[in-house]
Amino acid sequence: MAERNAFTDAIVEGLLEGGIESFVYVPSSHVAPMIRGLLERGISGHLANREDEAVSIACGMILGGVRTALLLQDNGFGNALTVLTTFASAYHVGLPIVANTRGGLGEYNAMIHTFSEAVPELLRAAGIRVDSLQPSDPQPVWRVTSSAAVKLASDTHRPVVVLADVMHPAGEVMSS
Amino acid sequence: MKRIQALRAIDMAYADRPLVVTCGATARELASVRKRNNHLYLLDSMGAAGAIGLGLALADRGPLAAIEGDGSLLMGCSVLPSIAYLRPQGFVLIILDNHVHASADSFPSQSERVSLAAMCRGAGIQTLECASDDDLADRLREARRSSGFEPVALVVEIEPGNEPDVALLLDDPVSIKDRFLGAMEAMS
Repeated sequence: MAERNAFTDAIVEGLLEGGIESFVYVPSSHVAPMIRGLLERGISGHLANREDEAVSIACGMILGGVRTALLLQDNGFGNALTVLTTFASAYHVGLPIVANTRGGLGEYNAMIHTFSEAVPELLRAAGIRVDSLQPSDPQPVWRVTSSAAVKLASDTHRPVVVLADVMHPAGEVMSS
Repeated sequence: MKRIQALRAIDMAYADRPLVVTCGATARELASVRKRNNHLYLLDSMGAAGAIGLGLALADRGPLAAIEGDGSLLMGCSVLPSIAYLRPQGFVLIILDNHVHASADSFPSQSERVSLAAMCRGAGIQTLECASDDDLADRLREARRSSGFEPVALVVEIEPGNEPDVALLLDDPVSIKDRFLGAMEAMS
């Protein structure tokens, strides 16, 4: 399991500042610090098995009036693209999504980059708003970006994705 | 029973409550029975109706139901353990099972040989079954009543085939959503 650090804590703070009341998640060891951070702060988390299912559950909760975020790992967007475009985007559901990225510096998996490196372009090609966070971004930027993504999704009635590079080795250096 | 007969009964049972309906012929036929603001018609997103309904139930919007077909449930069947695990009150998952992909040239679905009711029960969901038009209204009432305690799956056996001459559902999805949100607001 990845350890929480100042960057993952900044995302948790940002989501809380954005006003989320609940979240849906598909577990991954690298998004785990954010999941645990939100749970520790008393935000109810709902476990889903697949990313498309998670998008649908989160959209239902938002339609039901609960400010809900989605946490997942970026390779799961392969499962989620159809429902993201044909429901969340098409029906104007303001869904904020935070995903940890894979396949970059610090990666140990020999093949995951084959999908994960393409995720920003895939999402943009599908018309989905994407912002990225790197360890070179100061931690307040991580917090404010996460908070602003929640607001942007709600205000503009669409899914908004924040891709967070929590595996970059510089993160450990910069957060210590 | 035909799908349209089942949908007439479901429309009556959820005339005043949120109802999410899967895409294709099922959404078109439900809209042809009566287009209601409190019914959320999916125009695509096959396999998502149950999970969207689950999210609404987690947001405490029950009593409500979601309609899946056999093909769409099998496409998104990971929702079954999620319903059982998350266990919201007030949620009924209605599965119209005709054992074919009726909106896809009637290719057989795997429910030809796989019991969807057994899958629901295996996941740990209280499950009712219905094969007769005569019993459906009672089963729907029973399911809605029981869902006050835990989620319920209702598997309804229907005939293959689509109703002829049903108009395409060409509403703007944003209009569908806005009408649905307005209807839910009026309920609360």
